[in-house]
Amino acid sequence: MSITAVEPWVEIPLRKFVEEARTVLGLLLHPSGQVVAQFGFARAVDVMSACALAAAIHASAGELGKQLEGKPFRGLHHPGRDRQLYLAEAATPRGTFIFLTVFDQESSLGLVRLYFDEFCKSLAAAAPPAPRRVEPVIEERFEQELNRNLAALFGRG
Amino acid sequence: MSLVNYATREITCKIVYYGPGRSGKTTNLHYIYGQVPEDRKGKMVSLATQTDRTLFFDFLPLDLGTISGFTTKFQLYTVPGQVYYQTTRKLVLQGADGVVFVADSQARQLEENIESFQDLHANLAEQGIDARAVPLVIQYNKQDLPRDLILTPAELNDALNFRGVPEFGADALHGPGVFETLRSISELVLKRLSQPVK
Repeated sequence: MSITAVEPWVEIPLRKFVEEARTVLGLLLHPSGQVVAQFGFARAVDVMSACALAAAIHASAGELGKQLEGKPFRGLHHPGRDRQLYLAEAATPRGTFIFLTVFDQESSLGLVRLYFDEFCKSLAAAAPPAPRRVEPVIEERFEQELNRNLAALFGRG
Repeated sequence: MSLVNYATREITCKIVYYGPGRSGKTTNLHYIYGQVPEDRKGKMVSLATQTDRTLFFDFLPLDLGTISGFTTKFQLYTVPGQVYYQTTRKLVLQGADGVVFVADSQARQLEENIESFQDLHANLAEQGIDARAVPLVIQYNKQDLPRDLILTPAELNDALNFRGVPEFGADALHGPGVFETLRSISELVLKRLSQPVK
């Protein structure tokens, strides 16, 4: 299973989870909807859509929980006909992440939950301190490239 | 905060289109979606009511191409404008790298514009974000309507643009101003990545 990780430290815990829990799709993301790591997706743009929806489910379930029970709902399980979805929070020293995984008959909710707990522990243990960016990421004169790319995007090139 | 992946050399930025109900936020995204080639965009996701009003958000992922050797991706979101969707607006605004405020140029909508602009600032403040530090662009949409129904960009500036941010007149339904708005907010967001952090 191919794993793509924006933050390299999440790769080993995620790989272990994938191998043990035998899930088919997975996403680790920031609560704002930005992807941190994924496996099983074919297109990057599909990952972004899935992240936006997962962040929305998490945020709305959290808010609903607060209004109903005074505390956010932390996990969600949706049993589909062929595939099931599990979404939960993973707390680390680098902040809280959202984890979404999809599994079929090769796995089970119990198995996913069991390995998710282990995944959370290994993720928290692997998390390095947050780096502080001091250097510029892109060149100072990026406008020309931006304008060229946007013009091409809008067919004005 | 923009997500920078040094290993794969990717930048991902979140831009939120904010504004009162029916000001044209979703129309902006629809226009962009219609212009961009298939291989540079993802599916446009719309969580809307049966009457097509935005319920949670619209979402459009765009691949902007390479800038300074980084593959740059933008995630465009809209918020629901109606006053009663306050909670969802806050959720969508979380983690935004830039905001486009889409104002309705109709004179009778001025109060709604002001209220929504104040709501934006209040929601940013609630998340501990200094509104003056967030890249912001204002779009005065529906400038194509008859002159007697709308306010001019100068009149709208007096009411809304006290920060002196970039502003654009637009007709999002047919396109004028949409590209310029996106270009301007992209530039402001990326400018932050081209400067050293103090």
